[in-house]
Amino acid sequence: MTTELTVDEAAQVRLWHRVSQFLFREARLLDEWRLLEWYDEMLTDDIRYSVPATDVRGGTADALGLIDDDAARLRQRIEQLLNGEVWCENPQSRTNRMISNVEILTDRGTHLDVAANVVVYRFGHGRSDAYVGKCRSELVVEGESFRVRRRVVVLDHETLYEHGKLSIIL
Amino acid sequence: MTIELQRPVGDPIVIDDLERLSFRVDRRAYTDDDLAAQEMTRIFDRCWLYVGHESEVPGPGSYVARDVGGRPVVMARGSDGVLRVFANSCTHRGALICSQPAGQASSFRCPYHDWTFSNQGDLVGVPIPDGYGPGFRKADFGLARHRSDSYRGFVFVTFDPEQPRTLTEYLAGATEYLDLIDDQSEVGMEVIQGAQLHGARANWKLMMENSVDIYHFRALHKRYVGYMESLGSVPPRRRGGFGCALGLGHGANELPPAAARPLAYWTPMFGPEVRPRIEATAARFVDRFGAERAERITGTNRAVLIFPNLMIIDAIAITIRKIDPIGAGQMAITSVALAPKDEDPDIRELRKSHYLTFLGPAGFATPDDIEIVESCQRGYLNRTVRYSDLSRGMNKKVPETTDELPAREFWRQWDRLMHGDDGHLEVAHRAEMQGAQPR
Repeated sequence: MTTELTVDEAAQVRLWHRVSQFLFREARLLDEWRLLEWYDEMLTDDIRYSVPATDVRGGTADALGLIDDDAARLRQRIEQLLNGEVWCENPQSRTNRMISNVEILTDRGTHLDVAANVVVYRFGHGRSDAYVGKCRSELVVEGESFRVRRRVVVLDHETLYEHGKLSIIL
Repeated sequence: MTIELQRPVGDPIVIDDLERLSFRVDRRAYTDDDLAAQEMTRIFDRCWLYVGHESEVPGPGSYVARDVGGRPVVMARGSDGVLRVFANSCTHRGALICSQPAGQASSFRCPYHDWTFSNQGDLVGVPIPDGYGPGFRKADFGLARHRSDSYRGFVFVTFDPEQPRTLTEYLAGATEYLDLIDDQSEVGMEVIQGAQLHGARANWKLMMENSVDIYHFRALHKRYVGYMESLGSVPPRRRGGFGCALGLGHGANELPPAAARPLAYWTPMFGPEVRPRIEATAARFVDRFGAERAERITGTNRAVLIFPNLMIIDAIAITIRKIDPIGAGQMAITSVALAPKDEDPDIRELRKSHYLTFLGPAGFATPDDIEIVESCQRGYLNRTVRYSDLSRGMNKKVPETTDELPAREFWRQWDRLMHGDDGHLEVAHRAEMQGAQPR
């Protein structure tokens, strides 16, 4: 016996699949250090990328975070990572991003609010670290695909005492 | 080169040779577990240590809990408005009486047996009190209160009941630098919410040295320099600057800014909109302090090392960096931003933004500092290379910022305290400051 999906359900599954594929492609480009492709093809011109502090966790807009990049500074971050001037990412670390629990929280037609869990494993300079966090993205619908306009990665770590630094893009 | 397989016990760690203008530190200082344990008793148990800023406990009942010198403490403002620092340990059986890093409380209750302490430290509640005899007095079981004091809003404690110096005496010449920071607001400075809590797999002293070392800037932080130049950052109008020893292990660098300062030093990287406001602030400082001191407060960068483990860096933003040893090969770093309480909201945003560009575990500079101190620590595994050299500037009367005088001042005090002494090398420090030449 088979159960047909309703038209609404089928649309939701398709959308969820497209969103998941988009997030997975992002993860792959970042893991492969194809950072400029990621920046050019997957982000809006007014992208904002933030990682709040681990103590206040984005609870207040007035707080200082760890990263709060606009498009220009994110672009700069990428160029630095690629041109070998980032001593702690030269040689480039190996990363593996696990994206899960993808959930479309709101669908406003032109843009979506998407939640996902993310674990980024990083290996380099004799270290192995894992960054664990909750990733919220505002995706702008562009034809059959999307672009990220807002990304906030709220780390679940109490401190980055073990990691020391956050030199990669989460 | 001869490889020494064994070193005599008691070999000096710090070799300070004013005659040869040579200053060397045996790398055991960064790697030896016994020395790391001795540092806790000979330095951290004796000095005045930074706890936090008064603005972090603004009103009655507010508190923060953190580790200071390896000890969990609570800095609390009692309902009476008095700021106190307590041992974060129940006087009954020892559990932490406060597990939240910050908050508001009229009392602290130990979760183990519900002993309850007022926010002034008094034991006010003991369940089932008939289990104690007539000799039991609650007054004997108040929270252990540490000797604390503050200077211009910076709160310190000492765990040494015999610490002979008041906080102000202990801070020695560093008070001048804390004045230059606290004078940046008429209504007071405040710590901005959001602490950068990170660390490094390296000895804590490497980060102290790094934080007061300008010599590495253009080499290690090329990418940051490049970014600042891309924003229209202009080279300093004035060249120069100097490094200085402030006594008792404290030191500082002071230099013309290579970029804007959010307080009152505008360059094109801040954009034209805020220029009139920043320049008006600069003019107010001239009115308040006169041109010369105003220029020093608003138009000069500085990095201040307060022995043993506090760094305050006042440049494109102000950061307070507390560096805590965890054994020989690991440290915890707590960095927060300090700003005028009455700061214009747009300028506060600029301050935070530029803070993040340079500072913190994901800035364009600090991650490389973390990496390099970890790299040093790994390099020390090769014990064939016995010493690090910190002699830059010993040949000068007034060392430049790219010299290593502040680090030497740190090490001289470290050496004094590790020998249980607090006096003899002060003389050596004076000798260098007076430009002592070969005797």
